[in-house]
Amino acid sequence: MSHPGSRRLAWLWLVVLLACAVWLAVMLRQGVPADTDLTALLPADRQAPLAEQADRSLGRGFEDRFLLLLHSDDRRETTRALAERLQALETPGRLAGLDWRELDLADDDPHDWMGAWRYRLLTPAVQQAIDTDNGESLVAPALRRLFSPASRPDPVADPFALLDQWLATQPGSPIRAADGLLTLDADGERFSVLIGQLDGSPYSLPLQQALHETLTAFQQAHPDAELLRSGLVFHAAAGARQARHEISTIGAASLVGVLLLIGFVFRSPRVLLQLMLPLLAGSLFALTLTLGVFGRLHLLTLAFGASLIGIAIDYVLHLQCDRAIQGTAFRLRRLLPSLTLGLISSVVAYVAQALTPMPGLRQMAAFAAFGLIGAWLTVVLWLPRFRLRANPATARLAERWWRLSQPRRRLSPRVALIAAVLLIALCAWRLDSDDSLELLNPSPASLMQSEARVQRLLDRDTGSRYFLVRAADEQALLARLGELDTALDAAIADGLAIDYQSLADTVPTLAEQQRNLARVRTLYAVPLETLVARAGLPSTLPERARVALDESTPLTIAAWLETPLGQFQQRLWLGETPAGDVAATVVLQGERSAEVDARLTTLAETRDGVTYVDRVERIGLLLGELRRHTAGWVALAMALMSLGLAWRYRRRAWRVVAPPFGATLIVLSVFAIAGVPLNLFNQLGLLLVLGIGLDAGIFNVEHARRPSAWLAITLSTLTSLLAFGTLAFSATPALHYLGLTCLIGLASVWLLVPWVRPPSTDSHEERTHV
Amino acid sequence: MSPRILLLSLLLCLLPVSAQAFDLGDLQQRLAATPSLAGSFEQQRYLADLDSTLDSRGRFRFVRGERVVWQLEAPVEERIELTPEAITSGSGDQAPPGGEQVAQLFLQLLEGDWQALESRFSITLSGEAAQWTVNLIPREAALRERIERIILNGGERYLQRLEMQTPTGDRLHVRLFDQHTLAPDA
Repeated sequence: MSHPGSRRLAWLWLVVLLACAVWLAVMLRQGVPADTDLTALLPADRQAPLAEQADRSLGRGFEDRFLLLLHSDDRRETTRALAERLQALETPGRLAGLDWRELDLADDDPHDWMGAWRYRLLTPAVQQAIDTDNGESLVAPALRRLFSPASRPDPVADPFALLDQWLATQPGSPIRAADGLLTLDADGERFSVLIGQLDGSPYSLPLQQALHETLTAFQQAHPDAELLRSGLVFHAAAGARQARHEISTIGAASLVGVLLLIGFVFRSPRVLLQLMLPLLAGSLFALTLTLGVFGRLHLLTLAFGASLIGIAIDYVLHLQCDRAIQGTAFRLRRLLPSLTLGLISSVVAYVAQALTPMPGLRQMAAFAAFGLIGAWLTVVLWLPRFRLRANPATARLAERWWRLSQPRRRLSPRVALIAAVLLIALCAWRLDSDDSLELLNPSPASLMQSEARVQRLLDRDTGSRYFLVRAADEQALLARLGELDTALDAAIADGLAIDYQSLADTVPTLAEQQRNLARVRTLYAVPLETLVARAGLPSTLPERARVALDESTPLTIAAWLETPLGQFQQRLWLGETPAGDVAATVVLQGERSAEVDARLTTLAETRDGVTYVDRVERIGLLLGELRRHTAGWVALAMALMSLGLAWRYRRRAWRVVAPPFGATLIVLSVFAIAGVPLNLFNQLGLLLVLGIGLDAGIFNVEHARRPSAWLAITLSTLTSLLAFGTLAFSATPALHYLGLTCLIGLASVWLLVPWVRPPSTDSHEERTHV
Repeated sequence: MSPRILLLSLLLCLLPVSAQAFDLGDLQQRLAATPSLAGSFEQQRYLADLDSTLDSRGRFRFVRGERVVWQLEAPVEERIELTPEAITSGSGDQAPPGGEQVAQLFLQLLEGDWQALESRFSITLSGEAAQWTVNLIPREAALRERIERIILNGGERYLQRLEMQTPTGDRLHVRLFDQHTLAPDA
C-alpha cells in the first residue's frame, strides 16, 4: 500500500482540504450567509415572474413589521409595561420603532398633507350631486357640519368637507384610540394594539432572539395577560427554535445510538474517529465549494445535504469491516470497483436533482455530491494509511452474524418480478399525492391559531388572492384598474361576497382628476355663495377658496405611495415590468369557494391585461410540478443506472437493483395502504433510500460470500436508520416525511439484501478464505 | 398657569384643612351625583383665519357614561348623538374621520373623567366647589399642535363653560345653561 503515486495523491488531498479550510474561514468572516426562508427553496416561476414579484410585494407589509394584540384586566398598566420592554429594543439591528399610544397615529393627519390634491378627488356621491344640480344639495350637510361640536371646520380650504367625505370611503382600519392607547374592539373584548417595525430581516437570529426573550419575560411577569402575535418574524423564530430543539433531542439520541453500535462492533475508539474523519472532510469540502458556487446557503440545504453525505458512511464501513477482519491480507484494489460504483451511482442520482429548476434542490444536490466525493477521496486515499488494530471480536461477530442471518430460501427472479408488478399495481391504484403549502409551514399550531385570530380580528387578508393588472403606461393602467373595479362593484352588488383594494380607488386617472376639479369649480360658484351667506361667514371667503383651486396639482401614483396613507398601498404597486409596461395588483378578500373562484376567473379572462391569481393554489401547483420533475429525473437516472449495471452484471443485475428498487416499492406501497400522500419531502427521503440501497446491492453482489460485506451493510443501514429514520419523530412536516420514508425504506433494504444474495457459485469475485 | 392662579393656590394651601380639601376627586364626585341632566347651550366657534364667528344654539341632554344628545336649533336643525363609540346624526350625514376621537374627548370633558384625560393632559384645578376652573394642557407635542389648552368652568353640580383653544388661534366656546337634573329613568 505504499505506492509513491498514491502517497503523493494523499498529500495533495490534504493540501486541497487545507486550502478549503482557509477559503471557508475567509468567506465566513462576515458571518454565515444562511437563508432560513422556506420559500427561497422554490424556483423562480418561469411562466409568471410578475406573479412572483406580486407575491413578494403583497407579503412585504407583514415581513418587516409585527403586530401584537394584548388583552388584560389592567389594560393601561400592562400595555405600558409591554411597550416599555419593547422600546428597550429600539436599537440598530433590532426595532426601528413601536406604535402603541393613540398619538403615534395622530401625526398622520391627512388634512396636513392632502392640500394640493384634495380638489381632484371626489366620491361618486359628491360627483353625482354636482352633476345633478351643481351641488345645491351639498349646502345643507355642509352647514350642519360647520356647526357640529365634533367637527373641525376649515371653511377656506374645504367649506364642503370634500376631503373628509373622500377619506371616509378609503379603506379604513379597525384600530382606533381608547384610554390613550391604540385599541381594537372585537369579539366583545378590548385589545391593545402594538405595531413594531423591524430594523433588519425577520430572519435575523439575534433579532428573533431579542424579541422572543422580551415577550417571554413579559408573559412570565404578566401570566394573566393574553398576548396574540402576528408577523413573519414570529414564524421564522418558531421555525429556528424548533430546529434547535430537535437537533438537541432527536439529533443527540441518534448520535448516541450510532456511537454505541460502532463501539460494540469494533471495540476501538480509534475506529470511531476514523469513521468521523471522512464525514468531516466531506462536509468541509462540500460547504466550501457550495458557498463558493452559490454565494449563500439555505439552512435546509445544510440539514438535508449533511444527511445525504451520510451515505458516505457506507464507504468507511465497508473498508473498515474488511480491514478489521482481513488484517494484513487487506487489499484496497479488491474493494475499489464496488466503492467507485457506489460513488458514481449516488452522484448520478444527485446530478439528476441538480437539473431540476428548484434552487434549493440544486444547492442540496451540489452539496451532497461534493460531500460524497470529498468523503470518498478521504476513505480511499487516507484511511488505508491509518493503523487499525483488528479486534478478533469483530471477526467473530461477523461470522456469527453471517450464519445467524442466512435465509432458508432465496428470492427467485420470477417471484421478485411478480411481487414488483403487484406492488406497482397497488401504488398505481391507491397512492395519493399532496402538494399543499402546509408542508412548507413549520410553525407550531398555537402560533398559527394566534396568527389566524389576529387576521380575523383585524378583518384583514394576507393578499393570497389578487388580480394582476398590466398596461402600457400609468394612465392606461389606472383606466384598466378603474374598469375592473367597476365590474367588481357590479358583481358585489349582485351578491358576490368579496371586498377588494385597488389603487384606482385612491388615484383617479388624470382625465378624471381634471373633471373633478371642474366639478369643484362649479360647486364653488353659487352653492358656496349660498353656504357662506347662510352660515354668516365673510363674503370674501368664496374668492379665497377659489384661489386655492388654481394651486391644485394632479395626484400621481408615485406621489400617493409616498404619503402616510399611501405607504400602506405600496404593496399593490409593482411598477415598471421587465417587458417595459407597468403593473399593479387588486387584492381580494372575503368568501372562498369554487363558485367565487369561477366568477373571478371569468372576470379576468374577459379583460385584456388582467390575470386572476390564487397564491396558495399557485404555490401548490408549483410544488406539485417540482415533485413530478424530481420524480421524472430520478426515474431517468435509475433507468440509466440499471442499464449500466446490466452491462456490468448481466444476469445478476436484478440482484443489485432489487434492494434499492424493492425498498422504494415497499415504501410507496406502505404509503398507499396507510393513506400517507406522496410529497416532495418523502421523495427526497427515497433518494437516500436509493443511494444506500444501491451501495448495499453492489457490495452484496460483488462480495457475496463475505461476512465482512454483510456486516458492513448491516452497520450502514442501521446507522443510517438511527441518523435519518429518527427524523420521523420531528414536528416539522418536511423532516417528518423524510424520516418516515427512511425508516421504512432502510429497514426494507436491510431485509431484502440476504434474500437476493447470489448463490456461492455465482459470485463475481473469486472465493477467498475468511 | 397664570401667576394669579398660582398665588391663589398658594394661599389655598395656607387655609384650614376643611377649606383646601376640594380636589379633582371631589369635583368628579360632585359631577357624578347628577347621572343625567338636560339644558340649553350656546356654541361660538371663532375662526382666526377669517376673523369671524360661527354661532349656534340649541338644547342638550346628557346621560352620564352613555351619551350626549346635541340638538341644534339655529341656524340649522340637527340632532347629533355622541357615545364613547360613535357619532350619529339625525340627518344621516357621515361622521368625519377621526370624529369618534373628538366625541370621546367631548364626553370625557363633560363627565370630568380625569383618569382618562390624565394620560393625555396635565390637569390643574383651582377655585372652590361653588366656582371652579379646570385647566387641561396636552402632554405630548403632537396633540399640542391641535389643542393648545382646554378650560372648564363650573359651580356646584354643573359644568357651565367649556373653552378649547388651538395654536392657530381658533377657539371653541360652549356655554351650558338652564341645566336641570332628569329623573334616573329619563
